[in-house]
Parts: sequence; structure tokens; C-alpha cells
Amino acid sequence: MSKPVTIIMIEDDEGHARLIERNIRRSGVNNEIIPFTNGTDAVNYLFGKDSTGLDHKGEALLILLDLNLPDMTGIDILKRVKENEFLKCAPVVVLTTTDDAQEIKRCYELGCNVYITKPVNYESFANAIRQLGLFFSVIQVPQAST
Amino acid sequence: MTADAARRRALWQILLLLAGLLVLAAISAASVILVNQARDDSRWVVHTVEVQNQISNLLLEIRRAESATRAYLLSTGPQFLSEYETSAAAILPAVDRLVRLANDNPAQVANTVKLRAAVEQRLAEFARGIDRIKNNDVQSSIDILRRGGANQAVQDIASITRAMRAEEGRLFVERTRTADQSQQWASWVTVAGSGLVVLLATLSIFLVRRSSNARDEAEARLRDSNIDLEAAVEERTADLREANDELQRFSYIVSHDLRSPLVNIMGFTSELEELRGDIFRRIATLANEEPIVPDVNGELPEPALPEQDKQLSADFTEALGFIKSSIGKMDRLISAILNLTREGRREFKPVKIDTRELIEGIASTVAHQAAETETQIRIEPLPDIESDRLAMEQIFGNLIDNALKYLKPGVPGDILVKGRTKMGFAIFEIIDNGRGIDPRDHQRIFDLFRRAGTQDKPGQGIGLAHVRALVRRMGGTMSVSSELGNGSNFTVTLPARWTGHNRDKQT
Repeated sequence: MSKPVTIIMIEDDEGHARLIERNIRRSGVNNEIIPFTNGTDAVNYLFGKDSTGLDHKGEALLILLDLNLPDMTGIDILKRVKENEFLKCAPVVVLTTTDDAQEIKRCYELGCNVYITKPVNYESFANAIRQLGLFFSVIQVPQAST
Repeated sequence: MTADAARRRALWQILLLLAGLLVLAAISAASVILVNQARDDSRWVVHTVEVQNQISNLLLEIRRAESATRAYLLSTGPQFLSEYETSAAAILPAVDRLVRLANDNPAQVANTVKLRAAVEQRLAEFARGIDRIKNNDVQSSIDILRRGGANQAVQDIASITRAMRAEEGRLFVERTRTADQSQQWASWVTVAGSGLVVLLATLSIFLVRRSSNARDEAEARLRDSNIDLEAAVEERTADLREANDELQRFSYIVSHDLRSPLVNIMGFTSELEELRGDIFRRIATLANEEPIVPDVNGELPEPALPEQDKQLSADFTEALGFIKSSIGKMDRLISAILNLTREGRREFKPVKIDTRELIEGIASTVAHQAAETETQIRIEPLPDIESDRLAMEQIFGNLIDNALKYLKPGVPGDILVKGRTKMGFAIFEIIDNGRGIDPRDHQRIFDLFRRAGTQDKPGQGIGLAHVRALVRRMGGTMSVSSELGNGSNFTVTLPARWTGHNRDKQT
């Protein structure tokens, strides 16, 4: 059997990160969650020192991505992930406050798999994240291509 | 170039024209005078010639009379007698004519008086000769004839006529010279005048050229400054557009980023609420002496709190409630700003709109609310318009919604929509019999997040602000007239044919 799926959470707001993690755990997902609070750290982790993404060869990753990061836009990260031969198969869930139609369209065009707008209403928010967690527990994630 | 210089040049031109006119008039006058003088001079020359001619005539007649007398003396032929008689008869009139002709010159007048005496004497001699022939006294006649060469009268006539001829010759020379002179004068004046006119014309042309050059220059400068002005306007417009875009982006980002912390506040408040439940349940469990037993359904009943803890719990719930309702309100405001900025970025497309159909459509979507409040919506014939359809729907939708929302309690509503066109503008009025708006609030109701009157209806205070922004973007204006308790009348004035560039060029 393959390695368990690692969830990479790129979210600059620590409160959001905490709420997301809490709700994912509540839905019974126990996979490792690696949080990043800025784009640079996340990119360094994802693509490694040589910027090739070779480090994650053979790993199963799932990326939770916020678009509004302090140092870069999530769209850039999405673009690079989907252009990288080792990472392009990893599902990317864009989880952001933006509900601009243009932005949503652009993300899907770049290859994002799911786009979720964070609702301010906590009930809806918690609900959405829990359902996402349930979704995580059933979806199959491919290993990064060899 | 100053206006002063331009005025001075204009004055110069007028002066030049005047000078030219004067010169022309002077030349004309001088020409007329000189031509007249030349004619006079010529007449005098001719007169001199005539006098000379007349002298010759007179001498000729005298000679004819003399030769006729001689011929008669030799042949006594009667035809010579008659010839003598005609000649002798012509002599005195000829003298008379000479006298008349020469009476302008005192010297000649004196000469003619002497000449007349000599001629009369000579005529008397002729008559005497003829008489003698008639009396056959031929010998004495021949004697007289022989003496004739030394005759005093003949000599007088010859000398006087010579003097007269000389005098006339002198006059002829003198008068010819005068005539020549006046002709020369005339030509001089003409040449000089023409030269002056040409000079003035040249000067005028030069001035006109210079002023037309100045005008061209001014025109070029005007064109340049127009272009500059246009460029400046363009630049300002671009700046404004940029500022506007900046503001749009700013409000978008701000409202967007405000949302992020709001999610946290809401999230952790909810978490706190859950925690509160846990804490108070714990307290209740600890405070209860009796153990909690499951009820018939196998569920644990909620343990009752002691009295003082109940108060704490209620305070807790109240505080959380305020926090949550405030967050909700803030979220709605932020959403409204986001929607407005999104609306501001939307591109407007002018299309032909059947206004009546559009408003009937709006009326049918609110038919249910209208039926509930027993409101009738009357639509009069409306002018069609060329504008953005969605914007028009939003404008009239908001206004009709407001009219329905703020009815007078207990009075069946009556909403009237009417319209007309005036000078390229379509003017629409939405008139209701609702609760009305205090005139003090007429400006306020168009401000964002501001409302007026009794706050018994839900709303953010956005509708009218949005409507006015839309109307302005489409190059129109709007106003309200209303009194508290007497209904409202909202007037929307829009260009009948909006091209998308009337007021706001950002689209």
C-alpha cells in the first residue's frame, strides 16, 4: 500500500488554519497536516532546494491553498504546482475568501480541482470544512509520478 | 502679439486706405484741371492759327479786289467788275471777323484799328479807280495804279499784317509751349499719382500679409493650445480614471481583507459558544448533588444550573449574541461594498429598451408583495430609452421595492410610474402614497449606509446610494420630492440615447 496522504495547508491566517484543522479533524481525518503561513516557505517545501519537486517523488500530497498570501498570490503557487511534473497530479483545493467570478474561473483554468469560498457564517464554514474532510477521507490521491 | 499691436495695425491699414483714397481723389482732380487747362491751351493755339488764317483771308480778299480792279482797268469786262464787287464786299466783314478774333489781345486790337483804317483807305482807292474807269478816265487810273506800289495804304496794310502775323507767331510759340507744359504736368501728375497709389497698395499688401501671417500664427498657436488642452483633459481624465480604479481596488481589497479576520472572530466565537455549553454543563453537573440518570429514551437530561450560575450563563449568551449579530451586520456591509465595487467595475452596454415592458417585468416579480399589501402598481405609457438594461432594472427595481417597502401602515398602496421626454432626456417618475420622507433627510437617503425614518424594515442603506451611482454613471440625475406622511416622488432623468460616454468615460 502507498504512503498515507499528506495534507499541505498553505494559509497565512493562523486563526483560519486552526479552524480548518479543527474541523478537518472533527470529520475524522487523521492524516498528517503540514501548515505553512506564507508562500515562500510552502514553495521551498514543495519544490525543494533544487526547485524541481523531486523530493516528493512517490509521495501522495493534497494541497489546501489560500489565494491571498502576504508574499505571493496563491495563483502563482497553483500555476507552478500544475506545471511541475512530480506535483501536477496532486489535488489542489483552493480555500479562500475571494468569490470573484474571474478569480474562480482562472483557478479552474490553471488546473485547480476544487474551489471553495470561506463563508463568514461559522456554521456554514465549519460545515464546508467538515464536508471537505469527509471528501478527503474518501478520495483517492495518486502518488506523485515516478 | 498683444491686442494693442493688433489694434494699431488695423488703424494703420485704415489710414493707408484713406491715404490711398485721398491720393486717388487728388490725382483725379488734378487730371481734370490739367486736362481742362490743356484744352484751353489748345483752344488758344487754334485761336492763334485762326487769327493768322483770317489775316491771310483778308489779304487774299484785298489781293483779289486789287487784281479784279486791274483786270477791269485793262479790259473793262463786266465780270471783273462783279468780281471786284464781291471781293470788296467780303473785305470789310473779313476785317470785322479779324477784329472780333483778335479782341483778346490789346496789341492786336490796336493793330486792327490801324488795319481797318488802312483797309478802308485802300477800299476807297479801289472805288475811286473803278469810278474813273467807269468815267473812262483810264489814264489817271493807270497813273494811280502806277503809284500804287508806293501807296501809303498798301504799305500800311503790309506792315500791320506783318506785325500782326509776327505777334500771332509769337503767341503761337508761347501758347504751344504752355500747352506742352500743361500736358507734361498732366503726365507728371498721373505718373506720380500712379506711383503713390502703387506704393500705398504695396504697403497695404505688406501690412495685410503681415497681419494674415500673424493671424495664421495665432491660429496655429490656438490649435496647439487646443491640442495641449485636450491632452491636459485627457491626462486629467486618465488620472481620475486611475484614481477611481485605485479606489475601486482599494475598497475591494479592504473589504476583502476585512472578511478574513471576520471569519476568525465568527469562528472562534462559535467555538466559544460551544465551550460555554461544555463549561456550564460541567458546572451544573458538579453543582448537582443528585446523580444524573438517563431518561426513558436513554438520553441524559440537561442538568439544572444553580440560580446565580444561571445569571452568568445568560450574561455569557447575551454577550456572544451581541458579538455574533454585530459580525453578521459587518459581514452584510462588507458584502454590500464588495457588490458595489463589483458593480462599479461592470461594463455598461447601451441597448434599446422597451421601458414599459421592463417595468412591467419588475412589477410582476413584486406582484406577490404587492398583493399582500393590497398595493396597485400603475404604469403609464413610458418613453423608450437606449441604455444599459441591467442598470435600468436595478434602478427601477430598487425604487419600486422601496415604494412597496415603506407604505403607510393600514393604507392600500398606490404606486404610479410615469415618464416623458424632454430635450433628449427621458424623465421617469415613481410616485407612491407611502409614508414619505422628511425633507431634512432628502440628501441623506442617497448616502451609503444611511437610512431615514422609522427603522422597522430590514436594510443596509445601500439601495438608493446604488441607484444614484448607476444613474450618474449613465449620464443622468435623480431627485426626490416628498413630505413625511404624504408619499414620495422619485424623479430619474436619463439621456434618451446614452452612448456610454456621456459623463463617465471609464467604461
